[in-house]
This record gives sequence, C-alpha cells and structure tokens, in this order.
Amino acid sequence: MTVVSERTPLALPGGEPSAQNHLGVFTRPTATQGWKSWFTTVDHKKIGIMYGAAALFFFLVGGLEALLIRTQLAIPGSDLLSAELYNQIFTMHAVTMVFLVVMPLAAAFANYLLPLQIGARDVAFPRMNALSLWIWLLGAIFFNSSWLLGGGADGGWFAYAPNSGVAFSPSHGMDFYAVGLLIMGIASTVSAVNLTVTVLNLRTPGMTLMRMPVFTWMTFIVQVLLVFALPVITVALFLLMFDRLFGATFFDASKGGDPFLWEHLFWIFGHPEVYIMILPAFGVVSEVIPVFSRKPIFGYPFMVGSGIAIGFMGWGVWAHHMFASGMGEISVLAFSLATMFIAVPTGVKILNWCATMYGGRLRFTTAMLFSVGLVAMFTIGGLSGVSHAVAPADTQQTDTYYIVAHFHYVLFGGAVLGLFSGIYFWYPKMFGMFLGETLGKWHFWLMMIGFNLTFGPMHMLGLQGMMRRTWTYSDGYGFNTWNLVATIGAFTLAVSVTIFLVNIWASYRAHKRNPVNPGPDPWDARSLEWMIPSPTPEYNFDETVVVEEFDEFWHRKYGHDEDGRLVRIAPTEEVAQHGGATGIHLPSPSYWPLVMAVGFPLVGYGLIFNLWWALPGALLMLVAIYGWVMEPPDAPSDHHDDLEGPDPVDSTGEPAELTSGEAQASAESDDAEEADSSEFTTEEAPVG
Amino acid sequence: MTNKTKAMIWAIVATVVFIVSGWLMLRGATSSVTFPLNTLSPHGVKADYIQTLTYWVFGIAAVVFLLVEVAIIWMVVRFRAEDSDEEGQNEPRQVHGITSLEIGWTIVPAVILAGLAVLNVNTILKMEDASADAIEVEVIGQQWWWEFRYDTNGDGEVDIITANQLVMPADHDVNLKIQSNDVIHSFWIPTLNGKKDAVPGRTHPLVLQSYEPGVFEGQCTEFCGLSHGVMRMQVKSLPEAEYEDWLDIMTTNPDDPSDADQIAGQELFVQQCTGCHQINGISPGDEDPAYTPIPDPDYGATVGSALSAQNAPNLTHLMMRDTFAGSLLALYDEPASPEVMNPGIPNTNNLKRWLRNPEEVKPMDPENGQGMPNMGLSEEQIDQLVAYLITLK
Repeated sequence: MTVVSERTPLALPGGEPSAQNHLGVFTRPTATQGWKSWFTTVDHKKIGIMYGAAALFFFLVGGLEALLIRTQLAIPGSDLLSAELYNQIFTMHAVTMVFLVVMPLAAAFANYLLPLQIGARDVAFPRMNALSLWIWLLGAIFFNSSWLLGGGADGGWFAYAPNSGVAFSPSHGMDFYAVGLLIMGIASTVSAVNLTVTVLNLRTPGMTLMRMPVFTWMTFIVQVLLVFALPVITVALFLLMFDRLFGATFFDASKGGDPFLWEHLFWIFGHPEVYIMILPAFGVVSEVIPVFSRKPIFGYPFMVGSGIAIGFMGWGVWAHHMFASGMGEISVLAFSLATMFIAVPTGVKILNWCATMYGGRLRFTTAMLFSVGLVAMFTIGGLSGVSHAVAPADTQQTDTYYIVAHFHYVLFGGAVLGLFSGIYFWYPKMFGMFLGETLGKWHFWLMMIGFNLTFGPMHMLGLQGMMRRTWTYSDGYGFNTWNLVATIGAFTLAVSVTIFLVNIWASYRAHKRNPVNPGPDPWDARSLEWMIPSPTPEYNFDETVVVEEFDEFWHRKYGHDEDGRLVRIAPTEEVAQHGGATGIHLPSPSYWPLVMAVGFPLVGYGLIFNLWWALPGALLMLVAIYGWVMEPPDAPSDHHDDLEGPDPVDSTGEPAELTSGEAQASAESDDAEEADSSEFTTEEAPVG
Repeated sequence: MTNKTKAMIWAIVATVVFIVSGWLMLRGATSSVTFPLNTLSPHGVKADYIQTLTYWVFGIAAVVFLLVEVAIIWMVVRFRAEDSDEEGQNEPRQVHGITSLEIGWTIVPAVILAGLAVLNVNTILKMEDASADAIEVEVIGQQWWWEFRYDTNGDGEVDIITANQLVMPADHDVNLKIQSNDVIHSFWIPTLNGKKDAVPGRTHPLVLQSYEPGVFEGQCTEFCGLSHGVMRMQVKSLPEAEYEDWLDIMTTNPDDPSDADQIAGQELFVQQCTGCHQINGISPGDEDPAYTPIPDPDYGATVGSALSAQNAPNLTHLMMRDTFAGSLLALYDEPASPEVMNPGIPNTNNLKRWLRNPEEVKPMDPENGQGMPNMGLSEEQIDQLVAYLITLK
C-alpha cells in the first residue's frame, strides 16, 4: 500500500450512503455464479463472452446460408433453390455475417478486453453494457424470426430502393430488415457510447492515450466511427420503414422521392462500417504478432496514426460503391481519388506488421498463424480494392464476382481470420484453458485452403463477367469450372469450422480430465490483461496498475542490453498479480437491462403486424426505465468491508483528493453511481 | 540447412509459383476462348480505355503482391523460432520503429498512387466523350427486360421501340440515355464499356462504340429482384449500310397476316396481349387491326413512374430480333450474327414454351405485376399465336 496516496484520486464515494436510502421496492439480484447470473450480469467479461458465443452461433447460421448458396451455384442451371429463396438466403447471409457475426464478435473482444487493457474494473456504464448485449441479441433473434413469418429479407443487404419497397418486395422480409437493424443499431450505439466513455475516462493512472495497446486504440476508433455512422443508417432505415409500413414516398421517384437518397445514406454508413468490421481485427493482429515475435509493435505511433487516418478517410469514400450509379463525372473523380489514397494508411499497417516480424523470434502458435494469415490475405483484398478504386475499372468489376472475391478477402481474410486469431490468443485468459494447438493448426490450414479455394476463383469469375446475386448461370459463359472449385472450397471451409467446434469441445474435455491452469501469462505477452490470473477474476485487478510506459507488463518482465537485445529482469510470477483479492466493490447485477431489451422486439412485431401489439412492448420498456432508475445502486448485502473506514467525502459528495490529472474525472451519467462504485474504490487487497 | 538458406529457397519457389500462376490466370482470362461477358476482351474504344487502365493497376498490384507475399514467406521461414531456442538465447533486437523508413513507406505508395491517379483522371474524363454525329438511343430498364427507343429523324418523336437487342452501326458512337421504369437496373455490355445504372427518375449517359460489326452480350448487374440473374441483353452492331436497312424495316409496317391461323392469332393477340404488349397501331378491342409505322410511346406505363411494372415489350418487329424473354430464349435456330435479320428458321418451340407458362421459364411474380402471367392458352391458341407472331418482321 505504499503508493496509496497516488491512488486516492480513485476514491470516490462508494455505494454506502445511497444504499441506505434507496426506495427499497426493487432489490438487485445478487447471484454472480450459476446460469441465472448470466441473465442479470453487468460484468463486462460475461457480457463479452455472451456476445462471442452468440456471434459464433450466428456464424454457423450464416455459414449454413453460404453453403446453400455455394451448393446452388456448384453447377449451371441448378434448381435446388428457387430464385425467390436464393434472394432471401444471400440477403440473410450478408446481414447475418455483418451485423450478427463480425460486429458482435468484435464487440465480444472489445467488451472483454478493453477494460482489462486499460486497467479498469469494468466499463463506464455496466448496466448499459448489459442493455446493449440484450437488445442486440433479441434484435438478432427478431431479425431471424422472419424465416418463420413469411420469409427472410430479399432485397440484398444494401436494400436499394425502390426494389426494397413494398411494391417490389411485398413479403415482410424487408420489414424485418428495417426494424431489426434499427433495433440492433440501438444496441451498437449504446455500446459505442459506453466504450468510448470507458476509454476516455477509466484508464488506469499513467495509461495515457499513447500508451494504450493497439487493440484498444483500434477498438476505440471503431466506437467513435459507430457513434457517427449509426445515426446515418438509422435515418435511412426510418425512411425505409416509413415507406414500407406507412406509405411514405421518400424513395419513390414518381412522387418526388429519390432512390439515390437511400444509396447515399446507406453507403455513408456502409463504408465506415467496413472499417468498423476490419479495425478490431487489425487490433488483434497488432497484439498477437509482437507477442509471438518477441518484439514490440513496429512504429506504434504510425500504427495508431494510420488507424485514425483510416477512420477519418473512411468518411470520404462512400460513393466508391456508386461509381456505376450515374452520379456524375465530378463525383466519380473525387471519390475515386479519395479511395485510392486510403490505400496508403492500410499499406502502412501491412508493412509495419511485416517489420514487426522482421528479425523477431517467431513462434507459430495457432493464434500467430491466423494473424500472419490475415496479413497475407488482407494484402490481396487491399490490392483488389485498389483495382476498383480506379473508377473506370470499377465500372467493369462492380456487381460482379470480382467484388465478391474482394470483400471476402477483406472480411473473411481480414476480419474473420483476425478474430479467430484473437479467439486462440485470449481463450486461456477467458476460460482458463487452452484451445488445442494440433486441432487449431488443422483448423488454420484447412481454413486457409478452403478460403482461397472459395474466394480466389471468384476473381476469375468476376473478370469473366459473372454477375453477383444471381441464383443461377448458364453454360457457355466460362463460369462452370471456377464455380465448382468455389463450392468445393466452401465445403472445405465448413470442415475447418467443424474442426474448430470439435477443438472447443475436445479442449474442454481434456481440461476436465486434467486441469492445467495456463497461468496469468501463457504466451509471455505484453499488455495488462496478462498480468492477472486466468480466467480473469471477477474484479479484474487485485490492485490498480500504475502504468509508466507502453507495453507496461512486458517492460516489468524484460529490459534490454546495450545491443538492444532482450534481457529478463524479473520472473513473470513476481510481476503478475495473483488473484484472491477480497472486498473489492463491484457493480451489482440487474434485471432491468434484460427486461427493457425484451420490449424492443415486441414493438418491432407490433410495427410490422399490428400497431396495437406494440403497446405491451412499449409499456415493458417504460416499466424497465422506471425499474432501472429506482433500482438501488447495490445489493443490500453488498457493503464495503472497508478496512480504512469511510471514504473521505466532502460536503459536495466529491472525494477530498480528486486532483490527479491522470485519473480521469468520474463519468457523469445516470449510471455514474455504478461507474463510481465499480471503478473508484479504495480497497487494495494485499498481494502475495 | 540454416534458416537463411531455407528462407531463400522458399522465397524463390514462391516467386516462381506466383509469377507462373499469375501469368496463367491472366492468359486464361484473356485467351482466345472469349466468353461472351469477359471484361478483358474489349471490342470498343471505351472498353479499351478501361482495359489499359486496368492493366496498369493489375501490373502495379502484381508487383506489390509479389513483394509483400514473398517477404512474408521469407520471414516466416527465416525468423521461425528454433525448438532449441531458450529464453535469453537468440533474443531479438528490440526495434520500436524506424521513423525514416515508415515515412518512406507512407510516401512511396502515395507517389505510386498519385501516378496511377493521373491515368485514372485522364480515363474518367474520356469516358463520356462522344463524336458530334453520335446516335442517341433511350434505354429503359424494367423487370426483367430492356427497351430501346430511337428517334431516327430527330423530330423529337420516338420512331422505333424495340426490346432486348440494341442495334447500332459499327464504328460509330452511340449515346445511351439510360432510364428505369421500376427498380434500379444496370446496363452492361462488358466488351464495349463499363456498366451504368438505370435509376427511376433519372437519365444516365453511357457511350457505346464497337470497332467491328458483331453481337455483344450484356447482363443486368444491379440486383433487381426475382429474375435479375437472367435479365440479359445484346448489342447487335451492323455495318453502316445494313444499319440503314434495319432502320427502314423497323419504320415500315410488317406484312398483314394472310392465312387463317395467322389471322386467328392476330385476333387472339388483340384480345389477350394488347393490355400490356404493343404492336404499332393495334389497340385493345380493335375489330379490324391496322398497323402503323410509328409506335405509341405512352403505351403501357409511363417512364419514370416507379412502383408499377405493367409495361411489356413492343412486338411490332419481333422477328427482327434474335432473342426474346429478356434475351433468355433464342428466336431462331441460328445464333445471333451481325446481319439485319437472322437467316435461320424461327424457333417456334421456344415461343410455345414461353406462351404455355412463362413462369416456368423464368421466375416472375405476375400476381404482383412483375412479369408475364400464364394466359391459360390452349395448345391450338398457342399455335395460332405463334403463327401470327412469326409474321412480325
């Protein structure tokens, strides 16, 4: 407790005073163990794991849809699927993979890791965090329930008007698309605000912005992108919803509307969305490669700077999705040039990862393999991207399989490989056991082969003129061979994903039989989350870590000699925290996030089928808001067992010594109570 | 073998494999076996511009690809940790970054891209150029076929309305004015030019030109609903003189039906088909149908009014085309060739198949006003209709 005086800035009032004055009607749930606790938890780690598990489930759903698509296209003139069903399947596949897989999987890592990497106890608004999970999950289920209620959305994930209008898509599919994405957008907005505040305000002392791990940086950029991008798609979806459900004419050219309005709104969101999906994977790779190269990330400021540059430039390139739309020469020129130059910061990232590996001592764990795989595959996606940044070339390539190849190299070869890398890397931290390396390598190599077999030939198909979104093709166009190869590749991918699932199960069984704790730092890693036991204790850190440099944990373990070579200065056990802290005050679980979230799909069904049905949902939300507000800040039993007596609180309720600039000001919001009690505690459990 | 040697071998092998397979792929994509929609076999000046630019991009991308991928492979082998490595041995030098290098590889790609940008801008600005004597054709996309309208004498009135097959003179610029009658489509003849969307309420320009006479395939490339995948079109590029012949035929009346089947077929057409299909001069309920040379441009739905799809192809000179049903089915037993009229025998089987049940041939939703409904015709009626239809030339 020698540095306690440095930490007193963290000492904000705990829950004690208000806990005695709460209105007493709504007591908070207390369970933190057992299956019930998952429904009421506000713990960022559990929430992260639930995001991840649900995203993997939807990955299987979207994958199944992909297999149907590839089976249908294996041979020319196949009639396995009707055009009607095929249109639903490719639309649902895209929406599922974007909004139900890649985004929530990235959210899983963001939720789990962000607080750990900045040395925090939880996110800024723990109940809001639970709310965003439940809204997203229920929105996702709502969206998929369309399969049972008249068919999935059939207008493409881009939903161009007027084809997405009720005249041309009379089933309820596109209604579910509009309302479902609105609901999930609310979840993402809540989450983005929450994580933005967390990064800005809850960093541990000494963790300046330029000492944050690259994963935290990339995730932070993503949250800022989300905060600005989601309102745009929300507006677009509202217009679509009003067009479809209430006979508005925003996109009806014959009544003065304009289909271009939708195109622009969609892509103003849609392009930043691309970076929203890829930057978290870039973050993962930027963590994994240094660890397994035993070298620091090469050019940290450039890595951060290029991420920020991508974040900014990502707003000025949306119309490159519209080079063939007829928006006019000058627009095409401007957006074409902007798009070409966004390749620069992306290229910087690739080269910096290469430079990180250069001269390192590379250990090829499965996590590392996936990361190197991303660098190699994303390069291909990036280069094909440049080929349609050039607008005239794009007018040949757009809406052909060349584009399908391109964005799968970016989203599968980029985001999905990166996120798998993250799963293998952080699995021991999350679950206290490893994923098997042997099966992991089978998973990796089969995935690489299957991926390249599936999407590589699509470049050829596109250049030979095969259009996208077609449920069939004819002989004589040269499409046959490559389509068959792509289908074989897709099934190879399916095998690799099966191996991954088997790996989870086998690793669990092996761990049951012979539990081996991976220890706090199984990979000899660099960032703060590896300082604490695996799986992460509920309270994260025994004591607040004071950070003095980038890669703080690493530098506590290693120095370097005059030649710049690595020298061990302290054993990991000495540096790591050991868990077993007691009396750490954490935010209490709550029922209300889940209750409130249930209201959203109810209102959704009401909008689509009968407005009266929306009433119970709206009422439920109102009740939940009241419950949320009235709820006491703590469970009654959960008192501070404060060893040092009451916190020093002055008459304004501010802590006596809230001075240090490093400790960020308290988060001000309706959730501030929780944030305070979770984040700023005086308890420091003695270590060792 | 040391890691160093192994890495060199791997790098060399990878380089060779990449170069050979890249060359094979490019050869495959451009080889003499030209597939109808191939984007890399230009037959017109605009497609040539695009191809030149594309090859520049591909060339630069190939070099970058080779450098990065081979470097990765080389590093993976060269710097792989030895099993015998222990902590403290062979520890890497801790390099945090080399600013000059990083500035270098920020600037160099930017400079390369700037060079490419010049080519890009140049090409973009050339794409809409057309000669002063360019022919103008209105192109109207609808679910799931294309209509082409010509004003041959420049009097502001439409003189020819045809569908699915755009006829134009070779080596002559054609200005397309692309519009849509319902949802967004995209007009694309890959061997002649890139694609351009047909958007309701808008008119978009696209210039076509073919060096030689020929038939060039196209495909709608903006997702437009059920039959998007088979919404095809053709451009038939004729020698200048034969194009004039074509214009003459298209602006005169077809011969009146002569035998009994044909006359019965015409009566059937008036009763059953004129609600949507136009034959110049024939109106629904005509007792004594008489052709006129000039089509009624307002027949069916009017252009630009979205959310209604009740318009169907003008069939006045049906047999002057080579295909029907959104260019999905052949009208003759001979493939399309750059001649004024197909010399083959009419493919009555295809016509009958279509008339029996159009929904079986391609996916449509006529109950929702999208596509041609099953008219419930008897086999005799179908024969009569076909007998009449093949007189339309």
